[in-house]
Amino acid sequence: MSWPRGLACIWAIAINTVRESVRSKLLYGLLFFAVLMIGAGAIVASLSYVEGERILQDVGMGSVRLFGVAIAILVGINLIHREVDRRTVYTILSKPLSRGEFLVGKFLGLTLTIWIQMAIMGVAFVGVSLATGAPLGVPHLVFFFLAGVELALVVGIATFFSAFTTPVLAAFFTSGVWGVGHLSRQLRDLGAASESAPFEWATWLLHRVLPDLESFNLASEAAHLLPVTASDWVLPALYGAGYLTLVLFAAVAVFERRDLR
Amino acid sequence: MTRAEIVRVDALTKDVRPGFGLRTKRVLHDVTFCVREGEIFGFVGPNGAGKTTTLKILMGLSRATSGSARVLGHDVSETAFRRHVGFLPENPYFYDYLTGRETLDFYAKLCGLSRAQRRERVDVLLAQVGLDHAADARIRTYSKGMQQRLGIAQAIVHDPDVVFLDEPMSGLDPIGRKDVRDLVLSLREQGKTVFMNTHILHDVELVCDRVAIIAGGRIRYEGAIQDFIGAGERLTDLLVMGVPAQVGAMVEERFAAHLQGVGERIEVRVSEKHVDAALAVMLEAGARVVSVSPHRASLEQIFLNAVEESRK
Repeated sequence: MSWPRGLACIWAIAINTVRESVRSKLLYGLLFFAVLMIGAGAIVASLSYVEGERILQDVGMGSVRLFGVAIAILVGINLIHREVDRRTVYTILSKPLSRGEFLVGKFLGLTLTIWIQMAIMGVAFVGVSLATGAPLGVPHLVFFFLAGVELALVVGIATFFSAFTTPVLAAFFTSGVWGVGHLSRQLRDLGAASESAPFEWATWLLHRVLPDLESFNLASEAAHLLPVTASDWVLPALYGAGYLTLVLFAAVAVFERRDLR
Repeated sequence: MTRAEIVRVDALTKDVRPGFGLRTKRVLHDVTFCVREGEIFGFVGPNGAGKTTTLKILMGLSRATSGSARVLGHDVSETAFRRHVGFLPENPYFYDYLTGRETLDFYAKLCGLSRAQRRERVDVLLAQVGLDHAADARIRTYSKGMQQRLGIAQAIVHDPDVVFLDEPMSGLDPIGRKDVRDLVLSLREQGKTVFMNTHILHDVELVCDRVAIIAGGRIRYEGAIQDFIGAGERLTDLLVMGVPAQVGAMVEERFAAHLQGVGERIEVRVSEKHVDAALAVMLEAGARVVSVSPHRASLEQIFLNAVEESRK
C-alpha cells in the first residue's frame, strides 16, 4: 500500500461509498423508522407510571443500536459482493490501487455512512430527551461513542464475509457473530458453571475468538446516569480497534487471493 | 530497429473449477505472444476461446495457474505500473447513481490526477467520446452504447501508454463503431499501444497492425495483419441488380463465381482477376452495379480454420 497515494485512493473509494448511500432510498427508509422509534419512546414512556424517562431512553438507545446494526449488516454484506457481481470492480482494480486499498475504502465509506446516520439518530434522541425532560449526561455520550465502535466492528465483519461469500451467507454469518458476540459472556459463565470440561472449554474459546460485543454496551450506565470512568470506554475502544484491524487484515488477505472470474 | 515489448506473455496456463468438485478444466494452454510499442494488436477468437481470461490475467483480476505475464516490464500482480495502463472491460458496468462527469472524475482521482487536471481532462474526454450532452445525467439513464463510450473514456482518462480494450465495439451502432475505430487509430498516432480483444474480423482488418488468433485456449496464429490479408487468393464482392438468371448462371460457371441473392440484388463473389470480365458480361446483359468491394477472405478463413482445429 503506497503512501500517501494509497490513502488518496482509499479516501476516493470511501467518499464514493458514502455518496452511494446518500443516494440510496433504502437507508433513508431505515433512518426514518429509527427516528420514528426514538420518538415513539415518548409514547411508550407515557404509558408507564414509574421510570418513564428511563423507558424512553432505553427505547431510544435500543433503536439506535438495532437500526445501526441492521444498516451495517444489510449494506455491509453486499459491500464487496455487489462490486464483483456487477463487475464495477473490474474498471476500479485496473487503476493503480491495490485490492486492499479498495476494500478498506469500501469499509471506511460504509462506516462513515453509519456514523453519520448515528449522529442523526443521536440528534433525535437528544431532542426527544430534552422535550420530555429526561436527563442527559456524559454516559450518553460514551454510549454513542462505543455504539459507533461496535458498528464499525460489525461493518468490518460483514466486509470480511462479503469478500468471499454470497450476501445471504454473509448476512447469516454476520448476524450470527453479532448475536453470539453479545451472548458470549453469558455462554462463558454458563460453561464455567457446568461440570462438562469440553463445554467449558468450547464456551471459553467462543468468548475469546468472537468479539465480545457486550463490552461496547453502556446503555444501562447511560440510562441510569451511572458514573463512567476512562477505562470504561478507552479499553473497549482499543479492544474494538485491535479486533477490527485483525478482521480487516483477514478480509484483505482473502480478497487479495480471490480470482475475479 | 525492434520496438520495445509492451506486453509479454509466456506459456500462460489457466485451470478453473467448473463446479464445486476438485476436477479442473484447462482454459488456457501455454499461451505465448508479445505486443510491441506503438502497435494495435488484435487478440481474436470466438466466444469462449480464452480472450477475456487472458485479459483478466493481464489486468491482475485473475491469476494464471502457470506461466508469466508482464506489462511494461512489470509483473501483472503489481499495481503501481497501472498508472500507465488503461482498461475497458467487456460490457463495462458503472455506478448508476453517478453522472458521467462524476464517474470520470472518480476514475481520474484513482489515477492520481490533480483537481485541475481532472477538470480539464474530463471535459475534453466527454466531448471526445460524444457524451458532453449527457455529462450531468445519471448513468442509469445511459444507453448501452453511451456506457460503452464512457468505458472508453475512463480507460484513457489518465492518458495511459497502453490501452487494453475488451470488445470495444460491443453495443455500438455503426456510427459509434466508426468513432471507436477512429479513436483507436488516434491512440496509435499518439504513440500509444493498443491491445484489442475482439471477434469482429472486419474491425481487426481495419485497425490492427498485428493479430493473434486464439481458439480453444491455444494461440493458433500470430503475425502481421498484412500477412493474413495478403495470403491466398484475393476475392472481390460485386453487388449488382437486374442480372438475368441465365447470365448469372453463366458468370457462376465461367468465372467460378459464387452468387447469392440479397433481395432484388445479387452478391457475386469472384476472384480479383475475373472482376473486369464478370462485370462486362453482366453490364452487357443490362445489370446495374451497386458496389464493388474487396473480400477479405484470408483472415476469416484462418479464423474459421482455427476454430475448426480447436474443436477436433
